[in-house]
Amino acid sequence: MNLIALALSLTLTYAGMLMICLGMARHWKQLTSPRIPAELRRACVPTGVLFLALAAYTCSFVWDTGMAWVAWFGMSSLGGLMLLMLLPYAPRLALWLPIGGGLVCVVLNLN
Amino acid sequence: MKQKTITQSMSWLHTWCGLLLGWVLFAIFLTGTIAVFDKEISWWMQPELAQNELDQAAASKTAQRWLEANHGNAASWNISLPTERYPALAVSTGEQRRGERTHLDPLSGEVLEPRDTAGGNFFFRFHFTLHMPRTLGIWLVGFAAMAMLVALISGIVIHKKIFKEFFTFRPAKGRRSWLDGHNASAVLLLPFHLMITYTGLVIFFLIYMPAALDALYGGDRNAMFRDGRSDAAQQQAPLGRERGERQTQSVPAELLPLEQFIAKAETHYGPGALAGLLIDNPGRINAKVTARPLLGSRIELTKGEGMSFSGVTGELLQQPSPSRPTLLTQRVMAGLHFAQFGGYPMRWLYFLCGLVSCAMIATGLVLYTVKQRKQAKGSRALLNVTERLNIATVAGLCLASIALLWANRLIPVELAGRELWETRVFFGAWLLSLAHAAARPVFVAWREQLYAAASLCIALPVFSLLDGLALDSTRVALEVACVVLGVALAWLAWKIPSRACTAPLVKSRPARLAGAEQ
Amino acid sequence: MKAPLQLWPMMCRILAAILGGYLFTYCFTAALARLLPLDRFDAALVASLVSFIVYLAAILWVFATHSLRRVALSLLLIPPMGLIGFWPQLIGTLG
Repeated sequence: MNLIALALSLTLTYAGMLMICLGMARHWKQLTSPRIPAELRRACVPTGVLFLALAAYTCSFVWDTGMAWVAWFGMSSLGGLMLLMLLPYAPRLALWLPIGGGLVCVVLNLN
Repeated sequence: MKQKTITQSMSWLHTWCGLLLGWVLFAIFLTGTIAVFDKEISWWMQPELAQNELDQAAASKTAQRWLEANHGNAASWNISLPTERYPALAVSTGEQRRGERTHLDPLSGEVLEPRDTAGGNFFFRFHFTLHMPRTLGIWLVGFAAMAMLVALISGIVIHKKIFKEFFTFRPAKGRRSWLDGHNASAVLLLPFHLMITYTGLVIFFLIYMPAALDALYGGDRNAMFRDGRSDAAQQQAPLGRERGERQTQSVPAELLPLEQFIAKAETHYGPGALAGLLIDNPGRINAKVTARPLLGSRIELTKGEGMSFSGVTGELLQQPSPSRPTLLTQRVMAGLHFAQFGGYPMRWLYFLCGLVSCAMIATGLVLYTVKQRKQAKGSRALLNVTERLNIATVAGLCLASIALLWANRLIPVELAGRELWETRVFFGAWLLSLAHAAARPVFVAWREQLYAAASLCIALPVFSLLDGLALDSTRVALEVACVVLGVALAWLAWKIPSRACTAPLVKSRPARLAGAEQ
Repeated sequence: MKAPLQLWPMMCRILAAILGGYLFTYCFTAALARLLPLDRFDAALVASLVSFIVYLAAILWVFATHSLRRVALSLLLIPPMGLIGFWPQLIGTLG
């Protein structure tokens, strides 16, 4: 079981959902400070889609093709749900979670 | 006559379909979610079995030795090899009643006597039969599954802001929060809900919709199965035992060591991918060894499949051939529902998604009562009944499920029919929950039952600590998961207000918009 | 408590959806299985797997349609589909 790919898939699906969320006006206002230029919002959804596509790729290192897609759907859905639960209670954690996930991947890679 | 818009009619349909079948659906989804770990639960419920290092070859040698010594003349032997999920060796012979197995220590061959238990299989069977006579239960579950599909699609139709509110959750706002929660758990996991419901129906498609079978095969299932096997398979001898075989060739001949059949089968299925061996006519010239694969090397459900060899010469008699595309489609769909593939990470994904499905149904049921409570007109009696049934179903089933695990530890091992007593505790706890829900005020009942379930979950590890029974990774993982679920239930109970929230909805919304929303 | 006059159309719809819908789907599936240009087994399987979606669509349609008359008329589609699906068996019993 490729743990690094698994951790990466989880991080990327969550990050993808986060970026798609940021692409929506109401959540952009909710999560970003006014200093960040508003034009960047337009890049959010494409970035999110890219992350999700990358997640599908990393899933293929953990499972065979068909199973990888099933897992990808599951992770994206659950990641989106986790994001939704974090937004009202801990928006900062919601934003920084992918960084934490990335750190876990780096640590796993070093071992 | 006032004509309804599509939204209004779909809204009516969604409400009534969801409410009337919601209780049954919650039971189906909760037991299904628990059944994802059915073998692990069975393992936990038989603490007399200890986890040895997995060595199927050694286990098969032990099993063969024991069977030759004790059941040399049996018509068939069935060996369940130790696997990762259930690392025990069990054997049964043709004469034994279905389900009766003897557990053996994989190394010493000593007969083990784990307690009789309902096991995780209880949840698995309950999931698709609701503990009713098999056919009736399957039909009822199928009816509920259709209602689920209707509720899902009608829900999509009426959810106008499905994209705008994709990530919206506004807690502590009464009815708005319940609706947000219901929408969120439904929309974000929509692929899962649609997939799991549809594939569930597909498993029993011949029972639910035999029209094509009736029209093209005159209802003859065997004819259809024969047609369904690919051409290569049709040329081989059928996998099932042939009637005449047993009586005719009774010339004794030595059975080859079983480890080599494991090795041969693993060349096709992969290392560690076998679940068991079935030996027909052991000790005779026409002995046949069939290796059964462990489900899960692919999504396609390979239940009932196997590789057959001659028990005396070791030559390959039959191997599974690739399914034709249509049959493959049905088996992949069934496999998607059975969720036996992909290892533990996949299993946990399915488990978490299942829990969210349960949450979707539960929030829907509660949302109905929250809406009804606010309405001045409306049947008080119906609301009352709905509230009590909600408690008995949602909190009650959680309570009954954890009570089953407690019953497994508390009921004396020597008691005859203790399996039945475990299930009696399950249903007894559920009945108690219903009585409690009927007797106590609504919010108090919710809180008390959820706290009770939470306490039982959190206190579950106490048995392992006190009795010092065999601990291993599977059992520890189960207990940790129970504790976590218990904490979640306790948090839910803590969040329940002491009385109904009588504060009006957020005042800034103009009244006329409130009617257009759901 | 709703007046019986308003209850009757609702009951009709429910019966039409659940029972009528099932009958519709059953005959549709049989007809489809017979009409599909595939091997017998493949046709049977494809028609069966699709049937649940057909049933779902039928139920939703019964509730989405305004006029009960249209629902009643749609039930008339069932016999011809049944005929297509089961004509060998029917000829067998008649002959």
